[in-house]
Amino acid sequence: MRGRLGYVLLGIILILAVVLPFLTDSRATLNLFTRIFILAIFAMSYDILLGYTGIVSFGHALFFGSGAYIIGLLLKNAGPGLVNVLAGLVVAMVFGLVVALLIGVLSLRVRDTYFAMITLAFGELFFIAALKLRAFTGGEDGFSFRIPELLRDRVGFYYLALLALIVVGGMLRTFLSSPTGKVLQAIRENERRAQAVGYDVFRYKLFSTAVAGVTASLAGVLYGLQERFVSTSVLSVEKTFDALIMTIIGGSGTLYGAIVGSALVTLVHEWFSGLARLSPIFERWLILFGIVYILIVLFFPGGLVRAFTYLTQRKGLPSARRTDAL
Amino acid sequence: MDTFVNLLTNGIATGMAIFLLAVGLSIVFGLMSVLNFAHGAVFMWGAYVGAWVFGYTGSFALALISAILAGAIMGVVLERTTISKVYGNHILQMLLTVGLMLVLSELLKVLWGPNILPSPTPKFLEGSWDFGGIILIKYRLFTILVGAVVALGVYLLLTRTRLGIIVRAGVENPEMVQALGIDIKRVFTMVFALGSGLAALGGAMMGPLGGAISPAMGLDNQLLAFIVVVIGGLGSFVGSLVGALLVGLTGALVSWFVPEAALAVNVLLMAVILLLKPTGLFGGGSV
Repeated sequence: MRGRLGYVLLGIILILAVVLPFLTDSRATLNLFTRIFILAIFAMSYDILLGYTGIVSFGHALFFGSGAYIIGLLLKNAGPGLVNVLAGLVVAMVFGLVVALLIGVLSLRVRDTYFAMITLAFGELFFIAALKLRAFTGGEDGFSFRIPELLRDRVGFYYLALLALIVVGGMLRTFLSSPTGKVLQAIRENERRAQAVGYDVFRYKLFSTAVAGVTASLAGVLYGLQERFVSTSVLSVEKTFDALIMTIIGGSGTLYGAIVGSALVTLVHEWFSGLARLSPIFERWLILFGIVYILIVLFFPGGLVRAFTYLTQRKGLPSARRTDAL
Repeated sequence: MDTFVNLLTNGIATGMAIFLLAVGLSIVFGLMSVLNFAHGAVFMWGAYVGAWVFGYTGSFALALISAILAGAIMGVVLERTTISKVYGNHILQMLLTVGLMLVLSELLKVLWGPNILPSPTPKFLEGSWDFGGIILIKYRLFTILVGAVVALGVYLLLTRTRLGIIVRAGVENPEMVQALGIDIKRVFTMVFALGSGLAALGGAMMGPLGGAISPAMGLDNQLLAFIVVVIGGLGSFVGSLVGALLVGLTGALVSWFVPEAALAVNVLLMAVILLLKPTGLFGGGSV
């Protein structure tokens, strides 16, 4: 998004997004785009980790899902008041912060592969917990809940999601170009060098997971409010893979790529769901994205080279093992 | 007493099947520093191929052999076409193998459907033996036996053969091995094939153990295998064995008392070991 062309493009997209509700009466379309905005926030939070810090999490749905569950449980049990929504938002974000720090402290000290395994384990733990605490969460079937009158208008909620996307995107952009954000990118480029320069890599990584966790929780709250329903699918590892695929396809390490990825994946998914009525083969839409994703990981020189330039410094035999060992 | 023996054999049998999955994961990591997230998918394919061949031919031996072959072939193809392209970059490896896992799982659903399928026990292993009042289920003992034989075989392979020496040396220092004139790329492919074959065997054994197979079993068991290698130490053969038995037993015992908490206790176990000894019980390079 550099240069004048980038800003012009961004402006056009923004204007289109603002006027969309005037162009269509279809509630389905509005809902679809609302979902795109919310998932874009989720994918951006993933990009903070993957694209800007160079750490891979396979349990990111944990934050998204708990956000949705927290707002759902709160509104269901305490009634659909606006105050409860705000309280839920705060609780969800604090919860995301605490869990992110906890997992980070456990796993970020060890080599990078451990973070992936441990986040996967914690993600599954939360998923199973939501599945088994049936009395509390409704198990697999989930539960629906009522939301405040003010948020019930689909057009209004569309603008709320768009506003959230713009505000969160702007804040994350500011964060990433701050000195702290620059250090994160230095860690991504060359962790040992960042350490040698004197930065406490562990602390910066921990901070990065905290920002990503809180942002994902916020996305989860919005998702819960939009669906007015929560089930275990929000905590499933597939949700994490959604964010991963969106980030990679959109271009990791670009932040805005997450928005592109979210739009692309959500739209194609929607399209294939329609086709699934014709043939069940279209239920396997993930194959298509999986293959595209693999090809991008293997060959795409654009976003990936930018995000993983350190690959070129390490290319060759797995000598990384020695250097990465404890 | 009966319940206890029952839980014990169940735990050890499950542990053995997970060991078959974890040992390949661990050695591949030790040698190539690749953490293979597609490993569980190969395990699952082993379970499906095993059940499918068994259903067609009625021969359990043939089912196990075809599962191993299918796994080994998948391992070679994946390693040669994709994974070898990203050696040396942990992040790309993880991203890539997760993508492979996704595609392999979806492909499996295309072939066999997304629902749970039965995975029957062969006739000669049905039922149980009665040892003076202690009832032991035949198939569980069979799984334990196969697991023990394979564990011994892998141990001998690693300690007594030329390939084993190369692999162990490669775990210590890949550049040095290559400097000695050994084509380490071929060794990589062979180890990958071996690890994938063992994972597929583990899947084929696991199927009848639970009686059913589903597209969720890949990720579920992969998670257990991760917990195993974190507990035992990535790259350690003994660690995989001890970790797998520990995880299998914990799972069986805890799920008897509190079925909901089985995974939670295993994750907790992993967290405690990470805090106390981040390299795992047997971590540190030795096989």
